[in-house]
Formats: sequence, C-alpha cells, structure tokens
Amino acid sequence: MKKTLLSILLGFCISIGKLSAQDILPKDSSEWINFLQIQNQIPGLGYQLVFPPSLDSLEVQTLKLDLTKSDSGWVSGIREDFSLLAQVESDRVNFKLLYFIFSSQNSEEAVREYISNLMRNGDFDPVTQKVKPKEDLVALAVKSPYAPVFGNRYTFTADLKLFVVTLIIGFFFITALLMIISMLILKARKNRREILKKEYEEMIVDPLTNLLFEKELEELSKMKKADYDPFFPLNYLSKPLYQDVLIHSIIGLNKKMKGEFKEKLKAIYHQLGLDKVSAAKIRKSKWHIVSEGLVEINEMDLVECLQDVKKLSDSSNFHVRSLAVSALLNLSEKSDLSFLRDQTYPLSDWQQMNYLRIIKFVSAQKQLKIEMLFDSKNKSIRIFGIKLVRILGRVDLLERLASIASQASTEEKIEILKAYQEIGAHMEVDFINQCLQEEDLELVEQAIETAKSLGDENSVILLSELFQNTDDFSTQLLILKSIYELDKGKFDEMTLNKEDSSRLKIRNHVLDPKLVYV
Amino acid sequence: MYSFLFYLILEVVGWMFLILSFLVISVNMVMMILSSLEMRDYLRKNQFADYGDIITSPIAPGVSILAPAFNEGQTIVQNVKSLLSLHYGKFEVIVINDGSKDDTLEKLITSFELEKSDFAYHPDIDTQAVRGVYKSPNRSYRRLIVIDKENGGKADALNTGINVANMELLACIDVDCILSSDSISRMVRPFMEETNKKVIAVGGVIGIANNCDVQDGTVTTYRVPDTTLGRFQVIEYFRAFLMGRMAWARVNGLMLISGAFGFFRTDIVRKVGGYFPKTVGEDMELIVRMRRFMCEEKIPYKVGYVPDPLCWTEVPENKDVLARQRNRWMRGTIETLQLHRKIKLNPKYGIIGTVTYPFWSLFEKNAPILEITGLIYTSILIFVGDFSAVYFIALLIMMYLLSLLVSSFSVLYEQIAFNHYKDKKDLRKLIWMILTEPLWMHPMVVWWGLKGHWDFIKGKGGWGSMIRKGFKTAEDKRNLSTQSTS
Repeated sequence: MKKTLLSILLGFCISIGKLSAQDILPKDSSEWINFLQIQNQIPGLGYQLVFPPSLDSLEVQTLKLDLTKSDSGWVSGIREDFSLLAQVESDRVNFKLLYFIFSSQNSEEAVREYISNLMRNGDFDPVTQKVKPKEDLVALAVKSPYAPVFGNRYTFTADLKLFVVTLIIGFFFITALLMIISMLILKARKNRREILKKEYEEMIVDPLTNLLFEKELEELSKMKKADYDPFFPLNYLSKPLYQDVLIHSIIGLNKKMKGEFKEKLKAIYHQLGLDKVSAAKIRKSKWHIVSEGLVEINEMDLVECLQDVKKLSDSSNFHVRSLAVSALLNLSEKSDLSFLRDQTYPLSDWQQMNYLRIIKFVSAQKQLKIEMLFDSKNKSIRIFGIKLVRILGRVDLLERLASIASQASTEEKIEILKAYQEIGAHMEVDFINQCLQEEDLELVEQAIETAKSLGDENSVILLSELFQNTDDFSTQLLILKSIYELDKGKFDEMTLNKEDSSRLKIRNHVLDPKLVYV
Repeated sequence: MYSFLFYLILEVVGWMFLILSFLVISVNMVMMILSSLEMRDYLRKNQFADYGDIITSPIAPGVSILAPAFNEGQTIVQNVKSLLSLHYGKFEVIVINDGSKDDTLEKLITSFELEKSDFAYHPDIDTQAVRGVYKSPNRSYRRLIVIDKENGGKADALNTGINVANMELLACIDVDCILSSDSISRMVRPFMEETNKKVIAVGGVIGIANNCDVQDGTVTTYRVPDTTLGRFQVIEYFRAFLMGRMAWARVNGLMLISGAFGFFRTDIVRKVGGYFPKTVGEDMELIVRMRRFMCEEKIPYKVGYVPDPLCWTEVPENKDVLARQRNRWMRGTIETLQLHRKIKLNPKYGIIGTVTYPFWSLFEKNAPILEITGLIYTSILIFVGDFSAVYFIALLIMMYLLSLLVSSFSVLYEQIAFNHYKDKKDLRKLIWMILTEPLWMHPMVVWWGLKGHWDFIKGKGGWGSMIRKGFKTAEDKRNLSTQSTS
C-alpha cells in the first residue's frame, strides 16, 4: 500500500515537474526565437542559419555571417551564441534555423525537450528578463501578425485558489444573506402576528363575556351567524388569525367554565361556524394543523366529527394518533375500546399517560370495557390494559387477568404482579410463587416485591432458596425485606449469628425505620 | 529537488486549508438548517403537550436527582430546598457531600433534621469510601438522602449517588444550578414519548444566570452579564445549545450532555459502569460509552434534547477561571476521543462513529492545532515570498463573516424561539460582542485550547477551582444602586 502511494506521489511529482518546465518554453515561434536570444548560450546547443538562395552577394556581405552556398541556400557555420539572431532579425531577412545538440542535428521539438530536461535537472536556469525591443512596438506589431499571449485566459481564473475562495465567499454570502433575511422576516412576521393577536383578543373578550352572561342558552341557539355581527364582525370572522384567536378564547373559557356556560360556549362555537373550521383542519395534510383540529374537536365535544377522527386513530404520526385516540376516548358514546385494541403502533408511556387521564375521567360516567384490550394483538396495548386494572382498581377483572396470566409475556406478567400487589389479590399467591421460580431477573424481582405483601409459607421457602442462590446484593436486600414482612423469625434466623457481614448490613438497613421507603 | 518538494508541500497544505475552510462553512450551514428544523418541530410538538399530567401520573417514571457538593456550605441549604420544591410526583434528591472541608454536611444535618441511617451501601460501581448515609425522620424531607463520602471528584461522587439511586431515571446536576420548577416534567417527556427506540439520555439547555433576576428558583428577568467575558459566553452558549446540540439531536448524533444538567436511564448507566472518574470530561465520556454499549448490544436507542430554558448557572467572568475551564474541556474532549477511538469511522457505531466522532475530532479537538498551523503556514509563505495578500485577506474575511453569521443566527434564533433578552440595550451589547468577539476572544479560546493539548500531553489532571460570585449579585447590585440614588 505504502509503495503504491509512494509511486503515485513520485509520478505526480515528475509530471508536475515536467509540466512546469515545459510551461516556461514559449509555444509561439517569434516568442521562441526571443527566448533563445535572451539566453545567449544554452549548454550543448548550437544552430545554423539557413537563408534563401535568392539572397544576393551584397546582402550576404552585409550580414557578416561567413555564409557558404549550398543546395538549400546560404548556410552559416554552427554557432552557439543566440544573441546573433537579434542582429539577423533586425536586418529583416527571412531565415530558418537548424538545431544541433552536441553537434548532431535535431528538430525544434527535440530541442525543446532537451532544454526542458536541462531545466528539470537544474543544469540550466533560463533567463526570463525580457529584452526591450530596439524598435518601436507598433512597428513590430505591424510586422508580425497579432496573436493573444494568454489565449482566452484571465488572470482571475488563472489563480485557481483565489477563484475557489471567491466562489466560496460568494456562496457563503448568498446563503448567509438568505438565512438572515428569512430569519428577520420570520421574526417580523411573528411580531406582527403577536400584535394582531393581542388586538383581536381585546376585541373578542368583552363581547364573548357579554354573550355568556346576557343571553340565555335558548336565545344563543336561535341566533344566526349574521346576528353575531355586532359582537364578532363578520368581515373579521373570515380572517384565519381572528378565527384562531376566537377559537382559542372559546376553548380557554370552556376549560374553566362549568354547566350551562359550557353549553352556551358550544352553541356559540356552532353558530359561528367554527365547528366547520375545526372539522376542516383534520383533513389537512400538515400534522400540526390536524393536531390543532383534533384538540378543538375534543375540547368542544364535536361528536359529528367522530367518523373522521376514527380514521386518524391509526395515523403514522405520533401526535395525530395520540390526539385522535384521546378524542375518541372522550367523545365516543360506546364503552368499548375497540379502536384502541386495534391500534397497530406501540403505545408510548406518554400516550398511556394521556389516555389514562381521559379514561379515569370517563370511567366515572360509564363502565369501560377494559378487558377488550387484553385481546389486542399489540403487546403494548395489552400491557396498558393490565395497568388500567391496577390504576382504576378494577377488582372485577382479576379473574380475567388470572386467565391470561399463564400465556402472558414477561412484561405482561410483571404488570399482572403489580396489579395483584396493588389490588391485594391474595388468591393469586400460586402465580406469584411460580414467578419466583422464573429465569428472568426483572420478573423475579417484581415477584419478590409482590410476595412481600401477598406471599405465604411457600413464598418464604422459595425466597430463602432464592437468597441462597443469588450473589447480587440488591436482590438479597429485596428478598430479606420480603422475608421480614412475611416471617420475622425466619428473617432473624437468616440474618443473626452469621459471619457474613453483608447480611448484618442488610438486617440493619431493613430494621432502620428511616429507610422504610429506600 | 528539495526546493521542489518544499513548494509541493506548501501547495498541498494550501489546498488542505482551502478544503478545510469549505468544510467549516458547509458544516455550519447544515447545522443551521438542521437546528432550525428541529426547533420548529419541537415548538410545534410543545403546543400539544400537557405537562400537568406528568406530575401526578402513576405512569410517569421516578427520578433520582444527583447533586454532588464540594465546599458548598454557603449556598447548599438554599439549593437543596429549591431542589426539594420541584414540581414532580415521584422523585428523590441525593446530595453527595464529596469530602467537603467546610461545613456543608453540618449545615445539611441541622437544616433538614438529618440522622445517620443504617443504609446498606453496596458499591456496584467502585467509589471512594462512604462515611455515612443520612435521612430525615421528618416526612417533609422524606425525598432527601445525603451521602457523606471521602473526596474523589465529581465523577466519583456521582457514581456513589448512582449506587444509592432507587428511581428509573437519573438527573445529574450541579448543586448550585437553578432549576425551573417544571424542569423534571419537561426533561422526562422524551423518555416517555419514544416507542421504537430506547431513550438512554436527555440533555438540556444551560442558561447563563449572571446578572439575571432569580425568583423562586426561576430566572424572571434576563440581562446580559456586565463583563465582556460573560457576554461572550452568552453568545457561545447560544451557539452551542440552540444551534449545535439541536442540530445533532435532529440526527440522533448528540455526543455531549452537559454535566450540569443531564438525565439518564439508570439501568443503562449502571450497566456501563457509571462515570469514569479518571477523566475530566466525564459527562461526554459517559454518553459516548452508553452509546457504544447500545450499538454493541444492537439495541435501537436515542439521545434526546430539550431546548427549553430549564436550568441556569453562573459562568466564570474571570479570565483565569475561564482559561482553566476551557483547558479542562479540551482535555476532557481529547481524553474521551482517545478512550473511544475504536468507534472512529466505524459504521458499526452508526452516526456517532461515522459522523459525530470525526466532527469532534476535526472541529473541536484539532481546531486550535489547525488554526495555529494556518498561522505558521502563512508566516512561511510570507518568508519565502510566495504570500498572496489577496488570497489571505479573502480567507480571513470569509472566516470572520462565517463567525458573524453563526453568532447572529444563534441570537436571532433565541429571539424567535424564546425572546428572553427583551431590552434593546442588551441586544445591542450582544451584537457588539458578535462583531468583536472573533477578533479578540477567539484567539484566546484557541490559545487555551492549545494549552489544553499541551497539558494533556504532559498528563496534567484536575479541575481547577471555580470562583462563584453567587446568584444574588444582580439583586445586591440593584439594591446598592437604589440605596445610592435614594
């Protein structure tokens, strides 16, 4: 691997070296001649000047180059001083060059390659200083046809790094600007909204209170939307923010009020058509709007929306699902919990907590069929059902719990044990003892805890056996706490006169009244 | 040949810095976007949350609050009272007196009618010796447990608390932090919400209480600190808590939960062996270890984050203390990354191995080194005459603007989400700080970071001391000014 990387690096270095040397040599022919002139001499490189045969003897003499006549024309001897070329150029005579590398004739390409090699090896350092033209630049330009030196290249793009940096700055500027502008717009919008909200709230509070205290429920029910115009101007009522503030105000009051006032608020809600606004919200695609609608439906008891709400009870969105089930629990006239039983998504503790609050409230009015939840295919729903038995103290469902206990999963068994402990199901001691012999540590720990209040003599024997077989200090503490509650004699027997200091430590802990709950 | 290699290296390093600059910009941009999305969703979700239920619900988990105390005699009683008055149904407060040399324990015993109990302390996690566990027979203080132990440092004290804790969740806090009364219910929510993943820890935002008004354990009026160092930290905390951690939370990549206010699942903390007492970055190290454990056990998990302002602390306004703190943070980061280098670029560890670890390694741990290398590189360029002023200035402007953008975004962000600093003067002070901080504060932070590296190489340990002014400072100051004007 290292070798490969090294050879890649070497190859890279060589290619870069090659590139940079060749880049210095001009490609343009007149520039090439200029380059040679500036160098004066290049080690090992010679040249012959060849003039056309048409040159007359006078011109040959003027050139002072000691030319000899040959088949191809007038030829000079091999020379090494390139500065002579300047003189020949100034005489404006056409000529061509024959190159000699160490006396052997070579092409211009070979010469270029040769010079590149010299430069790479450090044997030749080209002079880059430009010789000022002796003639007027304009005159020279007239002589040689125009060719751009940098051929379509700009200095800016030529410096790649600078170009990249500028690009990044540009990108950065635009994104930054967009971000800050959008933030400022958001803040300005939010501020404007807050001001408007306050304004609307002030506009709404008084008329709403007047309506509640001055009108009877019957009167309110008979009023039409237009009759509310003096209280809530209809042109405002069409504004979404005004509607929003009005809905929140009504819901806020509905939470605080009782009895007939609640009915009046509901009547106003219906008459103003706000129920339709809430119903429309649950058909939107954005989850937070749907959630808003569900809260409104739940708070204002909009039973007519139940069918739509039911469709959302198995939504993939956690919040929508939770709020839909809450609304169903609250508004459904039926006492069966089939919509909860059929949920496919697992129930979180958060959802359970919310559902429990509603179920507690609803169960005071109607006997809910909690046992339906035991038949759910969803384990978390079954566990929630068992929890409900415990929390609501449904002694009537203990038998049902006992019937499902044997096939239940470990988590369900733990919940069943908790329910037994809370309700005081002494008759289920066999199940508790059975759990004491299970493999799962969490289940065994719960069984030890439950046995503390519901255990019998068999439990004491099982607990003693468990104590002998465990090294875990916290489990030992739990077991001895239970044994202490069930059989103090056994507890003394197990903790007194023992050399084991940890047993004595536990004994002192169990007997310390300050640590009853620790 | 040597000369050619030298220039080649210069060229390569130049390109490296250019790529690095581009990375810094891109990462910050992505973080801004992610944090915005996360904050938007969080605020929307919060609309539908009723925290009142958690307080009394039998389904809500129990929380053990662990508060290590070392020489906190001056404020301990007030702080513990404030903890005991938090609004939550099922919680206990475990104060661990970590071998204080002052009267911390005596004050606790007297104020809460404590008596030494026969608590059977069994260290599942090794700790320094426990001298006694105190409980009060007074029912009003039934939630309080005080452990007196030999000094062993913060991590060791927390481990002692973990050994004693009885609840499903642990809240590890600094005892001198101010907690909002609903802090537990809000922090517990992510643990209760998740269904498909196990939430192993939840981090919270730490607010700066210097110069603010505190009433009944909550900051009632926000003011920016009087000192420039304090103001700088306000900006820095905004950047870290409202932008950085929100963004990481979005992709479940959080690798750090502040040691001053973090919630953890007790069973997982015990399984991984609690805090590692030999590092000064024990808060970060614990999270990385917990995450490693979950990945290795192949249990789907999540580290949550709650951006609500629920906890406030006093930040150092003295340069030496701040330098020591930054030095410690840097050493903690290096130690954690060194300890867990196994996860580096390892896809087995998911986002933490492939994204978070390299990010911390490059942009947090090595940032000061890279910055100083950049400086050396520039000096060499000037020396050899290959220095491009235009290129240098362009880069400098770019970095300055980036700092400005990130900081102003964080402040704007705070203004939109919480809008605590309502006084326009405060905002102006913050904006001035945003403009000047990169020029004078940033070099200092880099320097402290470098010293952290150096101290790590030398094998230096320890925390240094934190000089606290006390939260009453602002109130006292106001009283004084009222007296002088009257």
